[in-house]
Amino acid sequence: MSRLEAKKPPLFISEPLTKDTVSQSLTLLNKILKSCYGPAGRLKQLHNGVGGYVCTTSQSSAIFSRLSVSHPVLRVLTASIQNHISRFSDCGLFTAILCCSMIENFKSLNIATCTVVKISKHLLSLCMDYLKSEACGCRVSVDFSSLETLLCLVRSVLRSKPACMLNKPEVDHLTVLILKAFLFTVPCHVETNAVLGKCVIVPVKGRRVVDSTVLPGLLIETPEIQLAKPLTVKRSCSNMIKMALFCVSMSGDLFSAEEGTITVHHGISLEKSELNHLLNVGKQLVNDEVGLVVCQKVIHPTLKQYLEENNIMAVDRAGLSLMEPLSRMTGSKPIASVHLLSPSCYGSLKDVRIQSFASKCFMHLIPNDAVVCSLILCNRNETAWDELKHACETAEHVLQLTIKEPLALLGGGCTETHLASYIRHKSCSLPTSGFKDLDCSRTQYQLVADGFCRSLESVACSLNHDDGEILTDMVYGHCWFVTSGFSSVSNWSDLVSKCGCGINGNTENLNWRLLQGQFGSAIIQGCPKESSGKVADFLTLDCFAAKCSGLQVALETASLILDLSYVIEDQN
Amino acid sequence: LPMAFRDVNARRHIGLQQLSALALAGRTLLGPMKSCKFIVDESTNQSTLICSAVRLIESLDLTSAAGQLLNETIQAQNREFRTGMSTLLFLIGAWSNAVLECLQQNVPVSAIVSVMSEGLNSCCERVQCLQISIHDVNKELCSSSVRPNALKSKTCQIGCDSLLNPHIFLYVQKDISAPEEVIPVNPCSHQEDCSNFNKRPLSSLASFGSIASLVKPVGDRSTSWISGSGVIASSCNKQKLTHSRYFSTSRKCHFSSQQGSFRGYLSGPSADPCECYGFGHLAMALSHGNQTSVKLLQSIVAYQRERAECSGSSQFNIAGIVTCCLLGLPESYSCVTPGFVTLVSPEQTTVIKYFEDKPLRILLMDGDLTEQYRHLGFNRPRNVRTILEHPSLPEGRADLWLSSTLDILISFEVNLVLVKGNVCENLMERCIANSILVIGSVTRDVLCAFGEVTSAQPVTYLTQLNTSCVGSGAQVGLWKACDGRAMDLGELVPVRIEVRGIPLLTAVLTTTVASKMQLIEDQFWTLAYRLHHALHDKKVFLGGGAVELLCLSHIQMLAKQPLQPSNKNAVREFHNPGLAASATEYTSVVLQALASGWKQYLSVVMCNTAEVASELEACTSVDHHLKKAAECGSPSAYILKAFRRGDLLRGGSSPFADHGEGLKVYDNVTAKTEAWRRALDLVLLVLQTDAEIITGPKRNQLVNSHVSSEFMFL
Repeated sequence: MSRLEAKKPPLFISEPLTKDTVSQSLTLLNKILKSCYGPAGRLKQLHNGVGGYVCTTSQSSAIFSRLSVSHPVLRVLTASIQNHISRFSDCGLFTAILCCSMIENFKSLNIATCTVVKISKHLLSLCMDYLKSEACGCRVSVDFSSLETLLCLVRSVLRSKPACMLNKPEVDHLTVLILKAFLFTVPCHVETNAVLGKCVIVPVKGRRVVDSTVLPGLLIETPEIQLAKPLTVKRSCSNMIKMALFCVSMSGDLFSAEEGTITVHHGISLEKSELNHLLNVGKQLVNDEVGLVVCQKVIHPTLKQYLEENNIMAVDRAGLSLMEPLSRMTGSKPIASVHLLSPSCYGSLKDVRIQSFASKCFMHLIPNDAVVCSLILCNRNETAWDELKHACETAEHVLQLTIKEPLALLGGGCTETHLASYIRHKSCSLPTSGFKDLDCSRTQYQLVADGFCRSLESVACSLNHDDGEILTDMVYGHCWFVTSGFSSVSNWSDLVSKCGCGINGNTENLNWRLLQGQFGSAIIQGCPKESSGKVADFLTLDCFAAKCSGLQVALETASLILDLSYVIEDQN
Repeated sequence: LPMAFRDVNARRHIGLQQLSALALAGRTLLGPMKSCKFIVDESTNQSTLICSAVRLIESLDLTSAAGQLLNETIQAQNREFRTGMSTLLFLIGAWSNAVLECLQQNVPVSAIVSVMSEGLNSCCERVQCLQISIHDVNKELCSSSVRPNALKSKTCQIGCDSLLNPHIFLYVQKDISAPEEVIPVNPCSHQEDCSNFNKRPLSSLASFGSIASLVKPVGDRSTSWISGSGVIASSCNKQKLTHSRYFSTSRKCHFSSQQGSFRGYLSGPSADPCECYGFGHLAMALSHGNQTSVKLLQSIVAYQRERAECSGSSQFNIAGIVTCCLLGLPESYSCVTPGFVTLVSPEQTTVIKYFEDKPLRILLMDGDLTEQYRHLGFNRPRNVRTILEHPSLPEGRADLWLSSTLDILISFEVNLVLVKGNVCENLMERCIANSILVIGSVTRDVLCAFGEVTSAQPVTYLTQLNTSCVGSGAQVGLWKACDGRAMDLGELVPVRIEVRGIPLLTAVLTTTVASKMQLIEDQFWTLAYRLHHALHDKKVFLGGGAVELLCLSHIQMLAKQPLQPSNKNAVREFHNPGLAASATEYTSVVLQALASGWKQYLSVVMCNTAEVASELEACTSVDHHLKKAAECGSPSAYILKAFRRGDLLRGGSSPFADHGEGLKVYDNVTAKTEAWRRALDLVLLVLQTDAEIITGPKRNQLVNSHVSSEFMFL
């Protein structure tokens, strides 16, 4: 007997942003994210509360991937941030904080949402035009013929992740390694459409960070290989090693027929026939003078023995993640069936060696021209290693984005304050026709612009976690930090030495003002100048593409959320 | 609402408090004189004796996030070094407390993080001058020990056993009064020796040998200097143990065993200890008082040296060592046996007796030896049905496998099968009946060692077998204790498998106390790994608190000059430039916090060794050394000198202070500095954490629980 239950009516929530739970959740999320931001950011322990793995992190990617929020409004927010992170890796927290701040600032304005959206889109386009123009004062161009700016970019990424637990020499060491790994992946001979290679991170946990290293080619962990045994590889006539790459399991188990049963006569062993088939494949590999067989999955011990007796090295359990770079590096096509073996699938290698690292033993495959490399990454414990791995991947990604668009933005909060200064300056000088186009009054425009600037500035303010003061100067519009306990001092120039990104020193009277708490007072801002300081060794730089996208994503998401008037929830 | 969120960072940081509370349990495990702890399982009423931080942490309840991270940190150190875990645990506690105090004084977190991290870095660089290369240490230890082992162990013995063994004592006296080399020493240090010497109440029994050595302080500013120090003086009242003698695993309770092993099995290779390219003395100096393990390790070193001379392989190979624990024999029966010793069932002894002294053909299997076993990664098909057309077959399938397996073994004339995994019970019986010895649960390293010398190649299935896979030349016998008696321990019988030239040694560890077994094995491996890491590092630290003392004096110096330009720059460069000012402002407070960790470490070690009566006295003694080091001008030179004299970490004010036991103590370099770094990393990691985010099902429980007010829900 079946029982039917009446469907529940959908839940209908109007004006979700005005609800307390939503705004509280948004505020809490904003607080969590702000506290994570920057090199002095506070860490979060993510765990299940019953003694499972503890993830200590301050990175947006780690937090958002574990954080599950229930409210639709928050879900819209997290989804768009995660989308940004998956495309750019960097600037996730920047985007999220900016988005939350914009929602908070615009919500309190009492101006029709559509007007706010229209004006803020206009302001965004002002920003984007400025960032893309030659006159932009907060960007530097990246010169790929010298290492310095590239090192600054990588170092800034590493330093902004305190949970990696790196000290200065370790940051320097890794910065060089990551850059080296990236340079390995840039092809030497560029054809019409160059494709970057790949850097594979090999985990070695428990070791010192300075033990990390980069090797060209790929490493496959092989526990069984004995170090004592001399390595003998069959080479083809051109002194290359012919290689076959299998992505199908060679363990000799049966093809996995999903349904139905197979009926076999007693005395017939499917296993045996399958093994015989594998041995035939082995015979063909011997005939084709293959020197190395790599299998993504498991190779049957008998086949392995057969291959080794015929001087063919067999490496199994290479894993899915290595298949693409392996195929790319050797030119071999992954063989997906043991029944079809075409000689055109074979690839070639320059050399094979055994590398032992810590207590692990690796087969080191060395290609002819390396666009694939392995970064052996060490850190002392699990949680710090995981954090470091994310950081390294982010840094690699940042370099990849930068080679496409060789620009970088000044970090340390300077880009945010500089942009805010620029918008304040621009918003004062908008001609009357502009208001008509935007369909708004001058006051409305001013209010939205002020909210926009304060949102940007609040991101810069999030860099400070030890209740000190944050200043901005009226000349360059950069961001300056002062420690707590000095707020009564009238002359700021005694307390600051360098701006957040490190490009400006305290050399002239830059006319500082406090960033926070200047509500109401109209700030007359001249157009911020480009810094005269040359690109120094220790600049904090951010990825241009990631930050530009972050700015856009933040504003678009904020507009979307502000514009939500109903949430309809299906309760069945 | 699937996420709970807790703010942990108040002025009183919960995570740091948890760390400090957990670490407190490990205080007595610090230093060479540890007090063991009984861990009692309330559900089974079974108890084990533990004496290391790893075992302690294993038996604590660590469900909190900070506890989990602590566990992870200790385990990581254990995996990597097998030593330094107690130091690590202790420093975690001490630095957590120190950081909590900094927070009380309103020091910003970023200042604590940057100054402590820079401070530790600077200390690690500073103490490099207390590193000595293995080569120099060996030369020194071997040249300085005039009849080294005999003298050392017997001088120790006087302390404890002189009343019991007057004749031994007499023997020692004679031994020592043999003419000593006299080596000219630097006049100033000589004077100091004499003055020291005069101050001491001389018992008529005391004898001393002047020991000279050439010391090259690495990276130190002072040039090489000769010290004539290390006066060996033994007096009857030197041992001032306050610990229970049953619980102390220090020298005292090992003397009987040591004596036994001296006379017994071991005396062969290690009797002439002074051709010491085999690192026997180094093992002693790294042991920190664990005599049984030292003896075992020294004979391992001697065996491996012998082998290395033949084959030119490395001098100390930790992969070539296995342990076999025999419960029920007195500890004096512990020894080292070449080859592989393992336990087998009594039924197999008949086969073993049958094999005695015959060369055997050996087979190695790297999986299980059962019918059902398939190699890893093989997926068993679920949907295959076998049908039988002629239902009159006499044999069942299982029997078929048994007999075919046995046929293969017999046809290849295999006598001995070593299996990595399990062995089918029925097959085992059939093999015994056919005089084939099958031994299961053999580790990979052992299989490799046998493969190397017998040229047997490990196989996964017997169907893979061909003649080249089978090795030959193995020998099997019952393991005999040092008095020549074969052991019958009731249920299981120790058996020894050997091949000429096998690079494998078994340390047979014996005890009659079941709860001590694990402890003894742990201690053995700790020492083995200390030697391994010392040789790997190619250098050691001066031990006995020298390194920590130098750190303290270095920090004193740093704290006095917080605005030294180089120091300031270091901080500035590393951290956000804007925050540099804050860092320098609080430098001296934070540096003191860092120093307090080592200071407590030293004083607790001194307390544990009962060199001083109280921690206060210990602190005074440390301060005394620090003051003298500062006055001296070159702290490292002072510490080096004190180390030579052997009066570091001995309560200087104690009337019973025994200067110069003659035993030099060394520590591992990487293991020690890594333990420091890991400890600080954990403390700073927890310090920088301001919130816990709890995900998953636990969160729903929290919503309804009484602590829900502590949490915020997203």
